[in-house]
Amino acid sequence: MRCMRPVTTSLAAAAERHLDDVYRYVLYLTRDPHAAEDLTAETFERAVRLWHRFDASRGSERTWLCQIARTVALDHLRAEERRRRRETRYAAVTDPPTESDRPALSPWLADALASLSAGDREVIALRVILDLDPSEAGRVLGITQSACTTRLSRALQRLEEKVGSQRVA
Amino acid sequence: MSPDVATALRVHTPAAPDSLRERVAAITITPPAPPRFTLGRALRIAVPAVAGLSLAAALAVGLSSGIKNPTPPTSSAGAGRERAVERGPLDANTPSAATADALPRGSAEKAPAGPLSTARGRAQDVNSTLTLLVDGTDDLSDTTQRALRIARRLGGYVVGVQYATPKPGEGTAAVRLRIPVSRVQAAVVQLNGLGQILAQQTQITDAQERLDDLTRRIRQARGDRTRIAALRRERTAITRRAAFATLDLNLTTHAPREPNVAPGRLDRAVHDAGDVLAVELAIAAYALIVASPLLLLFLAAFFGNRAYRRLADQRLLERA
Repeated sequence: MRCMRPVTTSLAAAAERHLDDVYRYVLYLTRDPHAAEDLTAETFERAVRLWHRFDASRGSERTWLCQIARTVALDHLRAEERRRRRETRYAAVTDPPTESDRPALSPWLADALASLSAGDREVIALRVILDLDPSEAGRVLGITQSACTTRLSRALQRLEEKVGSQRVA
Repeated sequence: MSPDVATALRVHTPAAPDSLRERVAAITITPPAPPRFTLGRALRIAVPAVAGLSLAAALAVGLSSGIKNPTPPTSSAGAGRERAVERGPLDANTPSAATADALPRGSAEKAPAGPLSTARGRAQDVNSTLTLLVDGTDDLSDTTQRALRIARRLGGYVVGVQYATPKPGEGTAAVRLRIPVSRVQAAVVQLNGLGQILAQQTQITDAQERLDDLTRRIRQARGDRTRIAALRRERTAITRRAAFATLDLNLTTHAPREPNVAPGRLDRAVHDAGDVLAVELAIAAYALIVASPLLLLFLAAFFGNRAYRRLADQRLLERA
């Protein structure tokens, strides 16, 4: 029988430390807790395979895990979009996330977040929820530091507008 | 961003459920897949391997050529000396024999008089050329005079002298002497002592057969006085010519240029290895030039595809 042992103490420890961050990031991207769980698990499966390529000099473990999570999430969103397009073509059926699937936020904030695009939610998750600095967030998103700051500013502006309109309503 | 929105976002951040935590823990204790063969790893192995092979091939070619082609003689003087040594003393009984003996500088005192031994009782044409180095034009003049005196003292005579000093301190003299064959060896010995020997060449041609042939033909030509007279004149000329050896003495004040020293085996091996490396680099440069359009297309496709994917991802995120 094959001996089961941790891949490396570093990856196991990194998984322990950054699991919540990866889950939150994926959850903000997809707005679907069930999908977020699966995608987080898939993220760590890929991380196990790619751990030998991790280079600490090029970024932190969290940044590296978020990059993998973003790739996994984008693949998921692409597949979902294809599925929705196919279903729309034949049955015009869409299944938006139910109330129970939404993150446990106040209703006005959850509605405001839901009205944002995934791109806006993504940058808010990285910069506000995960508290990554602009350079780290830019590395995850594949954009420059200044572009990341600009994107965050616009996303927050839109969120403020949505929250304000939700409150007024 | 208002603080209450930020606070609300941070306070209500969901944590990973326990089921997910257990799944991830199970995943991270799975043995890692063996590292796959990646392009980067292949390049890290292939590039040094190719460089090492190229270097090894160049060294192998260089060493093999160094072994196959032994060191050539360093100068014609050395070659002449080797030939003389191999031949040994000149056998004057052969119909025609010659020896060339060019000696390195500074060997005048040690230089032998030259293996010049004529065969007694046989008619021979002896021609000898001797090149000597003297110190300056004053010494050139003195040496020329001494050479003439030596010739006269040995019973010979001077056929001609050419003396020239084209530049101050530099000059040459060419002296042609006729020395009785019986004393030619003594003449060579004495002339050798006048300076530093740079080159020496001796040629001996046997004339006895021709004399014997002429004597036979005179006996056969009975009564034909005209023919007999002509044959006798020819025989006399050969006999007179064979009685004296011709000695060309060349004197010079400037040493000949040092012969080019042939490179050693190691130098040639390094040189050949460098040549092979140069050829390899030329081939690599040629391959790069030929492949560069394809490489540029590949890079353009790669970066274009990446930009397109980023744009597509961004659009996807805007829609989602």
